Amino acid sequence: MVPVIEPLNPLHLPPQKLTLGCPVLDRLLRGGLPVGSVTEIAGESAAGKTQLCLQLLLSALLPPSRGGLSASSLFIHSEFPFPLRRLRSLSSSASLENPLDHIFVAAAHSPYDLLSLLAAADSLFACPPTHLPVRLIVVDSIAALFRSDFDNTPSDLKKRSFLFFKIAAKLKEQARRFGSVVVVTNQVVDVVGSEEGANGLRLGNYACLYSSGRRVSPALGLSWANCVNTRLFLSRSDEVSNSSGLSRTRRRMQVVFAPHLPEGSSEFAIVRDGVFGIDH
Amino acid sequence: MSRTSKARNLDGPALKGAQTAWDMLSEEQMQRHITTGCEELDAILGGGIHCKEVTEIGGVPGIGKTQLGMQLAINVQIPVDCGGLNGKAVYIDTEGSFMAERAHQIAEGCISDLSINFVHQRKDSISCPERMEPNNFLANIFYFRICSYTEQIAAINYLEKFLEEQKDVKIVIIDSITFHFRQDFDDLALRTRVLGGMSLKLMKCAKKHSLAVVLLNQVTTKFVEGSFQLSLALGDSWSHSSTNRIILYWNGNERYAYIDKSPSLRSASAPFLVTSKGIRNVTSHCKRVRMM
Repeated sequence: MVPVIEPLNPLHLPPQKLTLGCPVLDRLLRGGLPVGSVTEIAGESAAGKTQLCLQLLLSALLPPSRGGLSASSLFIHSEFPFPLRRLRSLSSSASLENPLDHIFVAAAHSPYDLLSLLAAADSLFACPPTHLPVRLIVVDSIAALFRSDFDNTPSDLKKRSFLFFKIAAKLKEQARRFGSVVVVTNQVVDVVGSEEGANGLRLGNYACLYSSGRRVSPALGLSWANCVNTRLFLSRSDEVSNSSGLSRTRRRMQVVFAPHLPEGSSEFAIVRDGVFGIDH
Repeated sequence: MSRTSKARNLDGPALKGAQTAWDMLSEEQMQRHITTGCEELDAILGGGIHCKEVTEIGGVPGIGKTQLGMQLAINVQIPVDCGGLNGKAVYIDTEGSFMAERAHQIAEGCISDLSINFVHQRKDSISCPERMEPNNFLANIFYFRICSYTEQIAAINYLEKFLEEQKDVKIVIIDSITFHFRQDFDDLALRTRVLGGMSLKLMKCAKKHSLAVVLLNQVTTKFVEGSFQLSLALGDSWSHSSTNRIILYWNGNERYAYIDKSPSLRSASAPFLVTSKGIRNVTSHCKRVRMM
């Protein structure tokens, strides 16, 4: 098949963004997550990655006038179990009658699993089962797929890297073809030694990233970092208040790199109704 | 220049198309370069990005490769009166990082700087910065979104024909040349051949249409003698494909560009900034574009 190659006028590119469901965080990201590209949300466990993703699933259902895509979504999880209860409680405030009907959930256990799921998802995107198109793809998380089966040898690292690029190319193709927002979550690894970043390498706006008082770096190394268009980092730190003696968690979202965003960050909190930025 | 006439008799049937080195030198000096927006970077590049050459730019994610790519797609359009080429751009996006909203911002930044530097220009002039529209800058970018390596090959084949029709194109940017070639290729010899063919075509286009070709490239860690080292992706077979090679890197909290390979430029490095307006000098007092 010979692909049709034709130039586009950048003025005609889809400018749409998907709201995060919070004006403060949307302001940090200039309106939300862009369609047509891959956004990574990295952070340690309990940093709020999955919470944010669940909120995005519901945001996607909103009409464009409210920052949504009027679209269903595909949630591929490799972390178990799928947080159904939380999604249900968040969805009670959704405007649509049965929001859960428009969220397709699939589990992936390996990178090969993910690839075949994505290949099969082409028909889901082409002929959506409900009246809404599917325009949000969430993979939570990419790192969990690579936890086992790969050694730290040059040949295995190469194999792993091939898979990163294959997965990313497929996701980007779908983002482009269907005007979708693609979100991939990633775990973090501890950084040892005094050098910058992992392997002494700085990626993006921050020389170092900290979470829970540890120096960390998004997992999967440089190869995977080359696969995402935008990298957001969620951090958390527990602070004990002097007056009450109670500990509370402070959370922050940082723009590590993005083609359309300057360096910036925003504090946020996770409450019963979802994830919200804190305006100072 | 007077010596060029003497050299005419060289242009005999056997050497049709040949030039003397003198002709080449004077042509080179006449040639305008595409400013990067950062004077210090332009200085180490000998005036900016050169037409008729292939320039490869590599660096880690987030260092500013795409920013530089978008900046060049805008800056190539600076009017001749303002020291530019008044050209159009082809942007081949293989990764999905080109953002129209960011290109718009960079165009605004470019126009506002031109207005500051050209306050004395006649208001009725066509290239009067006050009359420039960021949207016109965007409309002069031919944007190709590529989703596989077969599409990339097809796009580069199509480019030869496209450039015959679009004579105003003065820069072709590929962001990035690498992405689709880093998946598992069953046949690595095939990959090398495909890449080789692509780079030959691009070099030919650069020469034939007197335009600049800019290839953005990723960096990768390479396992050398028991430790990981940084190197440009696609390996050694690719390293002959560009005339100039520039590496962008972090030096503490500052972004730097380093000339890694060039037949005519001294190896040197220069700091640059990525600002809201685009790529700029680290020292703010310098004017971005000099009056020609």
